Amino acid sequence: MAKLTINNLNKIFDVKLGDNVHAVKDFNLVLEHGEILALLGSSGCGKTTTLRMVAGFETPTSGEIKCNDTDLIALPPAKRNVAMAFEGYALYPPLTVKDNISFGLMREKLSNAEIEKKVAEISDLLEINDILHRYPSTVSGGQAQRVSLARALVRTSDILLLDEPMSQLEPQLRAVLRARVKDYIQHNKKTTVFVTHDQIEAIALADKIAVMEGGELQQLASPFDIRTKPQNVFVASFIGEPPMNMLNAEYSFEDSKIHFHIKNEKNDPAFKISYDKNNIDQSKIANLSNNQKLVVGIRPQKINFNTSSSNHDAKIQLTSNHWLGDQIHLGFELNGVNIIGVADRNFEVQEGLNVNFTSGSINLFDLNSEKVIFNGF
Amino acid sequence: MAYLELQNINKRFKDEIVFDDVSLKINKGEFFVVFGPSGSGKTVLLRLLSGIMAQDSGQILMDGQSIDSLDPNERDISMAFQNFALYPHMDAFENISSPLIAQKKNESEIKQRVHEVAELLKIDHVLSHKPKELSNGQKQRTSLARSLVVRPSVVLLDDPLRNVDAKIRYEMRLELPKVLKKFNTTVLYVTQDYKEAMALGERVGVLANTKFTDVAHPTQVYKKPSNVTSAKLFGDPTINILIAQNSSAGTSSKITASRIEINVNYPELSGHNNCYLGIRPEDIFVSNQGQEGSIKVELRAKTPLNLRTVYLLRLEEGVEILASVSEEESMLLDDNKDFYIKVDEKNVNYFDSEQRLIV
Repeated sequence: MAKLTINNLNKIFDVKLGDNVHAVKDFNLVLEHGEILALLGSSGCGKTTTLRMVAGFETPTSGEIKCNDTDLIALPPAKRNVAMAFEGYALYPPLTVKDNISFGLMREKLSNAEIEKKVAEISDLLEINDILHRYPSTVSGGQAQRVSLARALVRTSDILLLDEPMSQLEPQLRAVLRARVKDYIQHNKKTTVFVTHDQIEAIALADKIAVMEGGELQQLASPFDIRTKPQNVFVASFIGEPPMNMLNAEYSFEDSKIHFHIKNEKNDPAFKISYDKNNIDQSKIANLSNNQKLVVGIRPQKINFNTSSSNHDAKIQLTSNHWLGDQIHLGFELNGVNIIGVADRNFEVQEGLNVNFTSGSINLFDLNSEKVIFNGF
Repeated sequence: MAYLELQNINKRFKDEIVFDDVSLKINKGEFFVVFGPSGSGKTVLLRLLSGIMAQDSGQILMDGQSIDSLDPNERDISMAFQNFALYPHMDAFENISSPLIAQKKNESEIKQRVHEVAELLKIDHVLSHKPKELSNGQKQRTSLARSLVVRPSVVLLDDPLRNVDAKIRYEMRLELPKVLKKFNTTVLYVTQDYKEAMALGERVGVLANTKFTDVAHPTQVYKKPSNVTSAKLFGDPTINILIAQNSSAGTSSKITASRIEINVNYPELSGHNNCYLGIRPEDIFVSNQGQEGSIKVELRAKTPLNLRTVYLLRLEEGVEILASVSEEESMLLDDNKDFYIKVDEKNVNYFDSEQRLIV
């Protein structure tokens, strides 16, 4: 059993005298036994520094890292019982692929038969059984990354740490390996923390996602909640592909109608999205004030395309129509505002399309604080 | 009529064959995408066209004339790079105007042309900024403006959206074709992102194993790839390839792959006793209820994507299949119940034992 707890973790790097970088700020986390956490963000957000502090390669400036009741910070890396896969792979050049994978298992004093069995299982899973006798210098980048992943996965450890574990994988293998690795980790109940800049990978693999930016935790939630209930503008724009449409707007309430006046790039009025007051739950507007400046976020898949002439918000002319096999991306412009929507792959694109911004499909953020006001308005 | 043409191009580096007798015709004003995995020769192709590298044999024609003897600066072809390649000490205006200065154009013409292209690419407000003051999207637009300002007949774009974030990438996917149409330029666009290839290309050329394996409209390449290699390069997740046996009787064929059984009437299949089935993940229906023709499978893992959810399903020992379903459908599925799949037969591709498309 391994439960990972992080309390008020801080890391400040002394770059020069008097010139500090606060790489990780007041980071808090509870990860239950067997849960998978993704540390997600762009480069420089503090995600790798956080991982390295758990591994023991960086010393926190302040804060607590505990595995169950054991204080990890007091222990050197080798005593922490963590297995790690490094971004640069860090394979041992003089050892074959097979020996690289079994090296850690020999230290665990497993029998030869057990080692053979474990290596065979993991190399089947990661499709490296045909390169087991090769040396690291003779394998491709994608293969080296799979070897490094295999070496970390087979170890018996309390915590599994993976730094960008799938960034270099061949695109054709990525989906199937993601699924198999997830199955393996869940099956073996390994408490796992992995670092990634790729939101698709985070959503696919993780039970919990910690979105980081500028050293600060922006949101910690399940993949579903991260997508449907983003807590600020940063998380909303970072998650999703195509990205969420983020429109500047102003709120007004008049004639028993609720209006969001959408602005274009030059901040002129472009169009409005309106709802009948009677159809809207009053709690939704409790935190809105007249003329409040907002960011209206609309997920592309929540835009409803239809051909019926009644009951729509706006008539549109498509500016792009990209059929991508399992989905269709439709671009259109409403008075100077570019919007992208997604339709099902079987949707038939016709002339005279209308769009609906149905109730429940938009996210409201305050323009100044960039914090969420309401998800799913 | 072909405007840019490769005729029987061969190129090798020592023992490694990059191009084996490659021919290609690109029309005037066409937006043509060259798509292939890394190492397939995309960059070498751009170097041959721009003239900084020469082919071993074969010729390159523009408007019917060979350009092989022309130096890079004599070719009416310009290029924009993946890493922008802007001069850091020059502002955006100077960067964009640099090729015109090399052509010794006069000052008023330079000014007029730079402003024209900057306006189209929406960077007219940052022309006095140095590269380090520009966002990645603006750097990309500046680099693009520099390649278009000379009004080239052909522009080569080397994976220009690779290093920009998703928002800018989607914006540019919408804008780029429109801007380039205004210049009436023939475009050869290189990418390793299949979605970009499908979104942008009027035609796509799939470069793999020293040849263009497919040259066609994106929908055609996705739905009817000429071989397994091409098929696997498209889709996320990629196409499922299953080893299959075919027992034909007259025009009707019974195809079995693992536990999947398909009955079709394709005369083309007769004689191909061993073949491969190509089934796209979105062409597999997943359900908690068994129905006629469906197969019970074991759920191994569920990995949500942005718009769809991917299920890793086991057909039998050692045979897995990936299915992808829409978000709404996945919410209706209960992971703790039994799983059944049914294959949409009309979208299945059949490949022969050499992995070439039969039908």
